[in-house]
Amino acid sequence: MTDLRTTVAARDATPATTTKMAVRRLNFHYGDFHAIKDVSLDIPEKRVTAMIGPSGCGKSTLLRVFNRIYSIYPGMKAAGEVLLDGENILDARYSVNRLRAKVGMVFQKPVPFPMSIHDNIAYGIKHYERLNKADMADRVEQALRQAALWDEVKDKLKQNANGLSGGQQQRLCIARAIALKPDVLLLDEPTSALDPIATGRIEQLIAELRNDFTIVIVTHNMQQAARCSDFTAFMYLGELVEHGVTEQIFTQPKVQRTEDYITGRFG
Amino acid sequence: MSADLLFLKRRIINAVALLLSAAAALLGLFFLAWILWTTLSKGIAAFNVALFTQMTPPPGEAGGLANALFGSVMMCLLAVLIGTPIGIAAGTFVAEYANRHWVGATIRFVNDILLSAPSIVLGLFVYTLVVRPMGGFSGFAGVIALAFIVLPVVVRTTDDMLKLVPAQMREAALSLGIPQWKVTLQILYRAAAPGIVTGVLLALARISGETAPLLFTALNNQYWSADLSEPIASAPVVIFQYAMSPFEDWHALAWAGAFLITVFVLVLSLFARLVLLRKRVPND
Repeated sequence: MTDLRTTVAARDATPATTTKMAVRRLNFHYGDFHAIKDVSLDIPEKRVTAMIGPSGCGKSTLLRVFNRIYSIYPGMKAAGEVLLDGENILDARYSVNRLRAKVGMVFQKPVPFPMSIHDNIAYGIKHYERLNKADMADRVEQALRQAALWDEVKDKLKQNANGLSGGQQQRLCIARAIALKPDVLLLDEPTSALDPIATGRIEQLIAELRNDFTIVIVTHNMQQAARCSDFTAFMYLGELVEHGVTEQIFTQPKVQRTEDYITGRFG
Repeated sequence: MSADLLFLKRRIINAVALLLSAAAALLGLFFLAWILWTTLSKGIAAFNVALFTQMTPPPGEAGGLANALFGSVMMCLLAVLIGTPIGIAAGTFVAEYANRHWVGATIRFVNDILLSAPSIVLGLFVYTLVVRPMGGFSGFAGVIALAFIVLPVVVRTTDDMLKLVPAQMREAALSLGIPQWKVTLQILYRAAAPGIVTGVLLALARISGETAPLLFTALNNQYWSADLSEPIASAPVVIFQYAMSPFEDWHALAWAGAFLITVFVLVLSLFARLVLLRKRVPND
């Protein structure tokens, strides 16, 4: 775990960075249900922001606004602003494909595409760049190394990705997302379907990825939020209750409800 | 009432229910076995190479089913070739583009009606639509009637199989910034392919034994014909005609034809099941 410690020490040494994403008075409706109420929040660049809160609090919904994946379902409406590098991504003129190339997402359940390990990574890259075979092989290797999966799969790149274990599949999904070199990485409960060992690997990976990406992670696991995030936002019933440096949220929360949730009095 | 007595009562009720359901299953299986046994034993007795080389004979002469088998294979394959692409496209529209929309719900409902429509009704429909305007029975009309049977089966399977693809796989692919049509063609079809292929094979199995829609469309032909604008022979119609006749040698040919269709459907179903099972295991 020395890697993690050095990374954390290096991160603590650097001063606070700029804001990558800025949420401004965001409201979200599913039909008649008001899922996010007037939320404003800054997501700092190259830091890990954890979203916590009980089920149905709107934290996953907020994450799904960040790459507009909600828009594939009817009856959902987001109002307000989400600025990515100063541009409002909710503006209809902001191309959804351009947005998703910059903001990658990894889901709760690992879902490899029904193809080989190599093709799982190459598939997304092919959509944006024309590379020859050797360059593509390099890119695939680079992404798999970044996702700490290369050593386990380098001899079976042509095999179907469904043959990997759950934890490996999830790292493959992370590799697939970072292969496109996004700025922001959204992780929606990425370890809730994994065993503790696989979870530990993913958490270590998050610690390494924070050097290159702005990460937003939704989690139900409070220890996970405490272990691997720099900032924590606590949401309840669609409202942002408290947001701050992770250590402060977990040791000296300013709002009583945050303390109640963190200490397990409800939720 | 003591606990022991209650448990005894439950065990008796359980035994009775088990006995009744097992008896019902056995009754069904008994008739299935009987049908298969009759078809196989009489079919094998009438089985010979001439079935595949000689034409359907007039009463009292030796002959085979070559023209009828050829007509069946040609019409069934063309019907699948016409019905499958339309069915897959329609199924994709319903599952991917109109899933929670009233248009999708309506198409699904109408398709289910078409799925359970008696095949003789489809035959009559094609008779009015194609045979009357064209001025006569034709293999072409038979193909269209069979395609109407293939279509709803393929629409339904494509719809069902695409809906079985986890929503997260769609979201994961769309999250890479790839447009929906590409995601559907390159990811979702690949994931749903074994199921869709199975559906097409089962549709083929179903039309290979259909008689009613062909009676009004392709009719029959005693001679070899590969001309789709003319009436054309098919195995089910020949079986129907020969089995109703008073001639012993025609009966034998009918049994042989029934045997061939049964074996074909059996092999196709087994193959379809294997395709699906083989693909399913590593996914689970």
